[in-house]
Amino acid sequence: MALSGIEIFKKLPKKNCGECGVPTCLAFAMKLATGQAELVACPYVSDDVRAAIDEASAPPIRTLTIGAGDRAVKLGGETVMFRHEKRLENPPGLALVLSDTMDDSVVNEKLSKFKYLEFERVGLILRPQMLALKEESGDAGKFAAFVKRVIDQMDAAIILMSDRPEVISEALKVSKDKKPLIYAATNDTAEAMGSLAKESACPLAVKGSGLDEVMAITDKLLGMGLKDLVIDSQPVNVKKALEDQVVIRRSALVKKVKQLGFSTITFPGQLTDNKMKETLIASLLIAKYAGVIVLSEMEGHNVFPLLLASLNIYTDPQRPMAVEEKVYEIGGPREDSPVLITSNFSLTYFIVSGEVESSRIPAWLLIKDTEGLSVLTAWAAGKFAADTVAVFIKKCGIADRVKHRKLVIPGYLAGMSGELEEELPDWQILVGPREAAHLSAYLKQWSA
Amino acid sequence: MSKIICSAAIRGAHNIVDKAEQKYQEALDKWGPDHAVGFPNTAYYLPIIYGILGVPVSKLGDVRPVLEKCRSLLPPLVSEKVWLPYLAPTLEAGMATFFAEEIIEAIRYLEYPDFYTKQEDPIGGNIWLGAADDIILRKRGVEFVDGTAPGFAAILGAPPTKEIAAEIAKELQEKNLYVFMCAENNGVRMSEQLVEAGVQIGWPTRLVSFGSDYTATVFAMGFATRAAMSFGGIKPGDFRGNLLYNKNRIFAFAMPLGPVSDEWYANAAGAINWGFPVIADTPIPEILPTGICTYEHVVSNVPHSEIVQRAVEVRGLKVTVSKIDIPVSYGPAFEGERIRKDDLYLECGGGKTKAVELTVSRDMDEVEDGHVEMIGPDLDQIKDGSKLPFAMLIEVAGRQRQEDFEPILERQIHHLVNYAEGIMHIGQRAIMWLRVGKAAVEKGFRLKHLGTIMHAKYHQEFGAICDKVQVKIYTEEAKVDEVLALARKIYAARDKRVDRMTDETEETFYSCTLCQSFAPSHVCIITPERTGMCGAYNWLDGKASYEINPTGPNQPIVKGECIDPVLGKWKGTDEFIFKASRQKFQTASAYSLVHDPMTACGCFECIATILPLCNGVMIVNRDYLGMTPCGMKFTTLAGMVGGGEVTPGFLGVSKHYIASRKFLLAEGGLKRVVWMPQMLKKELEAKLKSRGEELGIPNLFDIIADDTKGATEEEILPFLEEVGHPALTMESIL
Amino acid sequence: MALEIPKVSYSGKIREIVLGKGDKAITVGGGTSYPFYLFEGQMPLKPRIAMEVYDSPPDDWAPTALEPFADVAGDPVAWAKKCIDTYGAEMIALQLVSTDPNGENRSAEEAAALTKKVAEAVDVPLIVWGCNNAEKDTEVLKKIAEDCAGRSLMIGPVTEANYKQVGAVAIGYEHTVIASTPIDINLAKQLNILLGNLGVPDGRILIDPTTGALGYGLEYGYSVMERIRMAALTQEDERLQFPMVCNLGKEVWKTKEAKQSRDEAPKLGDPAKRGVLMEAITAQLVLAAGADILIMRHPESIALIQDMLNDLLAA
Repeated sequence: MALSGIEIFKKLPKKNCGECGVPTCLAFAMKLATGQAELVACPYVSDDVRAAIDEASAPPIRTLTIGAGDRAVKLGGETVMFRHEKRLENPPGLALVLSDTMDDSVVNEKLSKFKYLEFERVGLILRPQMLALKEESGDAGKFAAFVKRVIDQMDAAIILMSDRPEVISEALKVSKDKKPLIYAATNDTAEAMGSLAKESACPLAVKGSGLDEVMAITDKLLGMGLKDLVIDSQPVNVKKALEDQVVIRRSALVKKVKQLGFSTITFPGQLTDNKMKETLIASLLIAKYAGVIVLSEMEGHNVFPLLLASLNIYTDPQRPMAVEEKVYEIGGPREDSPVLITSNFSLTYFIVSGEVESSRIPAWLLIKDTEGLSVLTAWAAGKFAADTVAVFIKKCGIADRVKHRKLVIPGYLAGMSGELEEELPDWQILVGPREAAHLSAYLKQWSA
Repeated sequence: MSKIICSAAIRGAHNIVDKAEQKYQEALDKWGPDHAVGFPNTAYYLPIIYGILGVPVSKLGDVRPVLEKCRSLLPPLVSEKVWLPYLAPTLEAGMATFFAEEIIEAIRYLEYPDFYTKQEDPIGGNIWLGAADDIILRKRGVEFVDGTAPGFAAILGAPPTKEIAAEIAKELQEKNLYVFMCAENNGVRMSEQLVEAGVQIGWPTRLVSFGSDYTATVFAMGFATRAAMSFGGIKPGDFRGNLLYNKNRIFAFAMPLGPVSDEWYANAAGAINWGFPVIADTPIPEILPTGICTYEHVVSNVPHSEIVQRAVEVRGLKVTVSKIDIPVSYGPAFEGERIRKDDLYLECGGGKTKAVELTVSRDMDEVEDGHVEMIGPDLDQIKDGSKLPFAMLIEVAGRQRQEDFEPILERQIHHLVNYAEGIMHIGQRAIMWLRVGKAAVEKGFRLKHLGTIMHAKYHQEFGAICDKVQVKIYTEEAKVDEVLALARKIYAARDKRVDRMTDETEETFYSCTLCQSFAPSHVCIITPERTGMCGAYNWLDGKASYEINPTGPNQPIVKGECIDPVLGKWKGTDEFIFKASRQKFQTASAYSLVHDPMTACGCFECIATILPLCNGVMIVNRDYLGMTPCGMKFTTLAGMVGGGEVTPGFLGVSKHYIASRKFLLAEGGLKRVVWMPQMLKKELEAKLKSRGEELGIPNLFDIIADDTKGATEEEILPFLEEVGHPALTMESIL
Repeated sequence: MALEIPKVSYSGKIREIVLGKGDKAITVGGGTSYPFYLFEGQMPLKPRIAMEVYDSPPDDWAPTALEPFADVAGDPVAWAKKCIDTYGAEMIALQLVSTDPNGENRSAEEAAALTKKVAEAVDVPLIVWGCNNAEKDTEVLKKIAEDCAGRSLMIGPVTEANYKQVGAVAIGYEHTVIASTPIDINLAKQLNILLGNLGVPDGRILIDPTTGALGYGLEYGYSVMERIRMAALTQEDERLQFPMVCNLGKEVWKTKEAKQSRDEAPKLGDPAKRGVLMEAITAQLVLAAGADILIMRHPESIALIQDMLNDLLAA
């Protein structure tokens, strides 16, 4: 059972020194309890206490990082089965397979596309981060050269795929600084792969057919002192893939089975030849606990929806996503186009902008920062009050971009129209519809 | 039950069963036992017999056992000497009456196939419609389920004149009730009176001329019985289920107009089984105590002008007002509009004139529903730009008089009045402020319409607690003074009542799970001394919200045995929390922030947390944006303690709760508090000072540190030591 | 090393609800575990897909979505028949968008006449979905219920604002109601209680938890569905033990990314595949959260989901 903030606080030195970056021990304890800080930040805590707190607060699923730099992928640290219970922590890494038997030109093309696939959404950059480099040539030297070439060309978190320790060994020589994931230790190669992982301080994947075999291997590796492991249970079909993911997560969380307290790596392409279906299997694995998802193909039409799925599922349900406060232009608005304002809750933004777009009436959409709260909640919390809205209207520069002075406010906030008119004497405040779905009709009858 | 009524009803029932037996014998002789018998186009056979007894009568031979059942139900005639508890046998006699009448009417269909029109409207000269077939049942029954027709009036006989008949019919129609008519009063029938008066009758106008005889009463009762089977899923033969369905859902009553014969009494006794009371215009004995029916059973000698209103009250029918009849637009879009000086036609209150608004509850007979009275000049009698004194007195009455709800209803005046276009309302009670714009007056708006609005909206939104609403609006100074005096008295009494209410005196608390949409396991327990942490719901709000919306987020919790009076734990609340948190939490303290504190949603007005160094508690409100001595700002704290989680050492609290006698009782109460933002302290100054007095620490208010004293524990500790804050010497908080 | 799988003990079961009438009637529900967790429970009845049919010709559809129906787009009866005959639809969902008072504002009579025609032309279960304007839907759905008496339609959305009126006709004329609430488990439960109190039999209630498209708030509905299932299966919340319907096709296909051409969004790959995948992924995710009935548009995304269902439910 995780410790509460107060219980952790009792164990801390209570110096309020602030050296951890947080002003008080209580605040630091709260951050520890909610997983927003790590105990190493406290220079004064005794070893005994450290052990006690670590033990109690260590997440049942090992947190580890694959790769280094911008595209490093953090995995694990999960504490719940369902996102509403708290949140899902670390979205899965999407990996593209490249083989050392591919023509250079093919590899180059795939790499340039990989780099190109980058999408901006709600102020975040969504992109695939991982490359799974697969040895198929049977030639350790060739594979190492291939790995080197890819690393030089592309910043990505790397997975080294080969069943042969000598191949991995060669490849690590050129790549270990990049902290690649070694894939994979099997029952036969556990010791050799384990030693390689230990020497290079790189994470290691475990491949077994079925969970029993996986557990035997992880047990062996744990015995060798390895901690950063990733599991592949080699499911034979989609149904089994789902089952394995659920059983691994649940065993780790509920039963504290330490041999399964790790993130997973999955290969939807092994379960189908149909690329579309592969994408669907991947989407299910995003929802159901996969740590790394290796794809046989990456195109805009499959990567983008998967990134959206990942963004949705891994959004913290208790912390609304927000979009940037600014003037959004929809459909090329002109100086006589309507001006609407709403909150910066991302869902509000998406729905409102979507409705405006589908109305085909160009409009100015003013998004005010409400700390991600929806319109009514923001209003209740004082974050969409007439005075702050007025300040925003004045500073956002909309007055220079339109000739008219008509501002449409959300229907639910009709109550603030009078107050807002007082704050903005030049503007006429119009009360829009309560539901975004009625915006289209509203805009069609709007006139400057 | 009145002996006179019982004796008469039982006599009448005997007569009717005798008649049915005679009719049956004749029919049997003529057609034989295998001849088909029944009402047209229905799958419910003879519906009362089928619904109550579960017996499908489809041929003449099926009738015999039913008649035998009638006989067995019939009690012996009442003799002069015997005194019995008459209710049960009388009701059984009533039941036998309906079975017998269904048989009589069924045989009528055999004897005279064209006696009834068998459709929705009169045909030619024949105005008698007879039993509703299944198509009519389905179409009209839907209206009984969705409330567009709350029920029906089963009228026997006729009023003295066709004008009165038309008036009664119109009034019943206005209440959306169906009017089921049968039987004659001295040779006159109401259906015929209506035709003479030029009123269109038939199912489409809801004026249903079932039949000419009193036996046609069974068409009304059969309709109700079938509705229960068709719409309530009640199985044939489940008589209890059927009768309860009707009592609880079909707002029907019997209205005998004219002298009540023994046979009418028998029918009335039958109707009472269905929970349908009897409202008569003749001086028959009354049966007032409630039992079978929701309220009174028999109410008599009611003047025709009042009979519909009285019937509606006795049956407990809610008035629905679908349209607000005012000359300006009305809706939430106008809530926030301002009336500027240049547009101003009339101004009341706001420090310029005396003004007050008051909602009080009265007894049912003291309020005439819909009565709106203007005392003093209205808008058409004053000049543009005037100022007037103003008082609005709203009197409401409900079956259960609930003074507790007065303030809640009164608080609604603000937004309900504001919804009218061109009207601006600010404040409440005696600090209200009203502005009416020129445009509204031009469109014909008058102050009187404020009464129209309040009458309609109270019925629409608070129908569960208001049955009658009347409104008086005063613009004469002397009258306004009177209302003001009354209001002051009532406000004082209200405040006192709320003050006197404690968690010990009330047995029922209320829950709030409104925030579970984003805080899945959050359960707020609202007690008289602990307002919801959002500050928006106090105990009375919880109670009112439950009465208005019984399946909503505020549910009553019978607190049950007290487990710990200091922590604030009860058996009832713990059981509720377990269920409502969907088994996530087993218990919560109402008065502690350390031991099993309550979950926090996210909407809390303030957060209280411990300051270990000072051995005390600090409270920070949402509006305070600065750093606090615990090392976290409000927003950081809110991020850590919300989401329906329990976070020991941290608690969401409302401002009102801070000054409660139960505030953090387990940690030592208000004297544990060592820091608050100055703005919060100021806001609560009066309350905090009086609590300090109560606690015997008159300077408590002054020794609570605030942001002017420091924003870290280290900064405020010297101050606390200097002033000798009690928390420093209290038992350790951890 | 043998793992003992930690199993959840389920105490509840999703109600089995019969949709439609006759040979092509379908039963949904019956689940006794979280969706597809067949190692610890049953999912005896497979989730079903209803294909969308629109009551007026679509004017702003992505070309790839319109293409399969281009020849029938103006004729709902032909459209429905094509769904069944060409694409093997096991259910049809008639979307009555043209009744929207903010749009074409077609009358209840027209909608009812059309619905009747479609109902007569198809033998598979028929969902009839209003325009999400409670007042208009009341009028339209009442008329439809009356005119299609006894055809066992699924009618919705039935909301807190119109449950009495629509619930009453559903009882009277024997239809199933789709109880629709805005992404909130307690409101969903409350509406089911209200429908029960009104007299709607438990065998004729479906839950619409409100579904958002991928990238457009999908996660809200997803979590509410997971919570509803959890309450139904493990917390004995019997007023939530009803099958869930997700009207997702129209949500997905109205998003910008489902409609953009290659020129408009070169990074987003093949527009045809993208749209299909966005719809199919939305469907896959709501299935994982507990959906029993999906309302979908594109034959290819439907085929993909059927394929996935077969895999996930394989014996």
